[in-house]
Amino acid sequence: MKRVLGNKKAIALFVIPALILYTVIVILPVIWSVYYSLYEGSPGLKWEFAGLDNYKRLFKDKNFIAALVVNLKYIAIVMAGQVGLGLGLALFFRFWLKNFKNIIRTLVFFPVVLPTVAVGQLFVKIYEIQPNYGLLNSILSNIGLQKLVQPWIGQASTALGALSAMDIWVAMGFYSVIFYGALLDIPGEIIEAAKIDGCNAVNLFKSILAPLLRPIIITCLVFSFTGTVKMFESALALTKGGPGNATKSLSMYMYNVSFSYGKVGYGSVIAVFIFLLCIAGSGIINRFDKKN
Amino acid sequence: MKRDKIKLKSILINLFTTVLVIVEVYPIFWMVTASLKQPAEFVNKPAYALNDGFYIKNYIDAWTRGNMATFFKNSLINTLAALIFIVFFSVTVGFAVTKMDWKYKDKVAKYFGIGIMVPIATALIPLFQIYNKLNLINTRTSLILAYIAFGLSLSIYLITGFLRSLPDEILEAAVVDGCGIYKLMWNVVVPLMKNAIVTVLVLQFFFKWNDLLFSMTFINDTKLKTIQTGLLYFQDEFGSKNWGAIFASVSMSVIPMLILYMILNKAVIEGMTAGAVKG
Amino acid sequence: MKKRILSILLITTMIAVMLTGCGGKKTEPSTGETNSGTDTTTDIAADTTDTNAAAGDDKQIAKKIKILSIWAEDKDNGKLITDLTKRYISDVNPNFEYEFELVSADNLKQKIATLVASDDLPDVFVYESGKPIVDLIEADKLLDVGKALEDLGVADMLDEGAVSLLKTLSGTDELYDLPLGMNVEGFWYNKALFEQADVEIPTTWEDFEAACAKLQAAGIQPLTAGGADKWPVTRLINAYVMRSMGVDAMQKAADGEAKYTDAGYVAAAAKIQDLASKGYFGEGVTTVDQNTAGNMLLSGEAAMFYNGSWFTEALTADTNPAGADGIGFFNIPVVDEAKGTITEYSMNCGNILALDKSKYDEGTAGWLKYMVENIGNEAMTQFGAVKGYKYDVAGELSTYSQIVADELAKVSKASTWFEAAMNSETSTVAQDNVQTLINGDATPQEYMQSIQDAYDGSLE
Repeated sequence: MKRVLGNKKAIALFVIPALILYTVIVILPVIWSVYYSLYEGSPGLKWEFAGLDNYKRLFKDKNFIAALVVNLKYIAIVMAGQVGLGLGLALFFRFWLKNFKNIIRTLVFFPVVLPTVAVGQLFVKIYEIQPNYGLLNSILSNIGLQKLVQPWIGQASTALGALSAMDIWVAMGFYSVIFYGALLDIPGEIIEAAKIDGCNAVNLFKSILAPLLRPIIITCLVFSFTGTVKMFESALALTKGGPGNATKSLSMYMYNVSFSYGKVGYGSVIAVFIFLLCIAGSGIINRFDKKN
Repeated sequence: MKRDKIKLKSILINLFTTVLVIVEVYPIFWMVTASLKQPAEFVNKPAYALNDGFYIKNYIDAWTRGNMATFFKNSLINTLAALIFIVFFSVTVGFAVTKMDWKYKDKVAKYFGIGIMVPIATALIPLFQIYNKLNLINTRTSLILAYIAFGLSLSIYLITGFLRSLPDEILEAAVVDGCGIYKLMWNVVVPLMKNAIVTVLVLQFFFKWNDLLFSMTFINDTKLKTIQTGLLYFQDEFGSKNWGAIFASVSMSVIPMLILYMILNKAVIEGMTAGAVKG
Repeated sequence: MKKRILSILLITTMIAVMLTGCGGKKTEPSTGETNSGTDTTTDIAADTTDTNAAAGDDKQIAKKIKILSIWAEDKDNGKLITDLTKRYISDVNPNFEYEFELVSADNLKQKIATLVASDDLPDVFVYESGKPIVDLIEADKLLDVGKALEDLGVADMLDEGAVSLLKTLSGTDELYDLPLGMNVEGFWYNKALFEQADVEIPTTWEDFEAACAKLQAAGIQPLTAGGADKWPVTRLINAYVMRSMGVDAMQKAADGEAKYTDAGYVAAAAKIQDLASKGYFGEGVTTVDQNTAGNMLLSGEAAMFYNGSWFTEALTADTNPAGADGIGFFNIPVVDEAKGTITEYSMNCGNILALDKSKYDEGTAGWLKYMVENIGNEAMTQFGAVKGYKYDVAGELSTYSQIVADELAKVSKASTWFEAAMNSETSTVAQDNVQTLINGDATPQEYMQSIQDAYDGSLE
């Protein structure tokens, strides 16, 4: 056993090619970014050593703080929505849905396969208000809720919510399928037994399902977190970060700073910050796992 | 009394199901009708109106002007090539860091885990320079390599999660029967991981098929561009948009996904549900 | 950066002189004989033939260039460039090859930034005039096109007005880029809606506001603008600034002679916010893209629309529901006759074409010469458009091209656009935040302050 599983040659063969590729293409550029973050300007153009100046600038930068706030709000809303609704749907599939199970699960999963650019362009039209009401506003107006008709992605108060709704719509099917699989793994007898003991739905979930689902919930939260912390493409496709800076994320700000402002050095600081935020966030989520 | 309650419950369930299906499907149905509308219809008619006729010119525009055929081919080649390697590497690495016996395996697993957190935009400029030095700009290889490398972390994470839940006894039995490591891998581990592999395949397919940033940055040659960049063909200098052609090209880019999904649908859902993610 | 000393006043007078020339030529009826035109044009025509013959005879240097464009090969300037290049290959130099690359306008700067970083700019690329190219000029990446054309003996093919405008925008004495357009901006209006509401073309800003009110009272949306694209809104502020403070006002602020927070600029921002808060733009103006806004004007859903003369492309299309004569044009109404008159226009050269310095050689020179010699005529024949080069084509212009030609002929002075003199950081802030201004989320004071802050911050 030991001899087979300790085969050094096999281990090397299994690990080293991937390790080299991964190191050169993923890790090296990250280190490179850290090195860039000590410089001012843009490589090839003005490019001067700046030491830690870029880092000092970071927390004085109003635009950076604004982007951070937007990004954190987005993470909170979308994470809760994707994982919460995913779980809700999975429970619905498992316990209530009787007919057309497969078709419906398939349909719910479907938006996951759509290209982000396409979804963005689609939702621009759904939220439209001028020249014609888009899908959402025309429905509201037809069912007598004219008061609620508004420029969903055109005002700071609703733009982030509208964007989050879109991203939740896209991904909730994905999470529901994962949760559904986990629910299927829970033996029916446990649930039946609990029901006989007079457990109601809420208690059943709280005392039986939730603890059993805990590891999978945490995995899903990490997925969702690492996805939302990188918030970029969907916001670009739907609102371009607007109106104003209402939906401008850290990644978008970094992109602007690096490529439009020509400050690759300062942009790299933001990139490094996003990376650290990602690690810190995942670490916190994983904490909940270990306590158990 | 009780019967009424059950009846009410089933009505509620059906109602919810209907709403759910509409919410999921209607936008896509709408997109297809929109792709058949003339430019004026977008302005003059309400959004929910069906297309007046079948304005096929949108599709012709998208196909001819947008070089969609070439883009399709490119996306397909890049994606498939990357997927093969991702699956291969994630299974071998995943197995090595969970079931095999060596000193640094936990450290290596953690090291691969870092990749999940790396924002793609961070790597863009340095990567461009690396590629430039290696003379890889404007080649399929550049994209395929980036796809593989950035796909590894999540895939390995998924595979290791699955392997950890795999009882060691199965492996032991196989070894006792005289299996060497490669035979063990191919004949025992891979078949057991079918579901996990399908999950990785499907997830990574969507990610790679949807890539925009890499192909935008590394590929200059129109002949090598991918389908997502094609979707950008319809934006003019002063922000004007040809919505009909946009939705036509979007519909076209979605159709292969749909077909693939319909074919694989059962395996996908099974793969995903049959405990692919066992954290 | 070299401080800009050239007064726009001087330059624009030159533009005016040039444009008057162009316009005059174009307005001649096309009776067949008129294309003999003036002496100069005959010369140019003869010249072109000569060089073609000469180039065809001797050096046919083998060369392959890369062209980076934001227009597809069959659209707009992309088509213009590829058509001419193909003709160059078939008529002049069969050993010449080209590779055409398309990048979306939104990604142009990012693309160039990555290419510069690895010292791999394309031979020829479309870029943005003004501040963006200044960085490239300072890094010594760009060919001094002016000198190259001088050496090739074709410098006089460029429209002098366009040359001055480009030099002003880059703040240099030399010319580092080639124009791909020569545009005036102003208000396009729907004639039928004006008639319906009994509104006259406004000449003063008061008239303009009164017209808006009257249109609104008649149940017509007075204005439309592509707020989602941001720049169409800052152009409106610019319009008011140049009429109330003079054509050089934005330049003054960029040079530090004035502050963006000075009363005049704030008042301009307030004027535009006011138009929006009265509902003249309809609901959710920040979600409307410029194309949709244009369609709204054409289909009679809004009465007025601020845009540049490139809009003629949409106007002359068969699909224009307003027909061949349904849309008219008026210049920005006068605010204060002493500060800005009706013959002053907001102008630009569109996106520009630049050449990489290190890759430029004799092979590229042959192509460059051919392009510059023929682009003016080609653009006029194919698109009826003025691109900033001399041309010599006779023919009936469409009503809309005629409007533009007439307006170009009236120019006495020009202002550039709102962000022209701003660096990209300030310009991004100005564009992003204009959405909050027009939504009413920021006061005019706050808006202008955010621009000033970005301006101060980026100087650090």
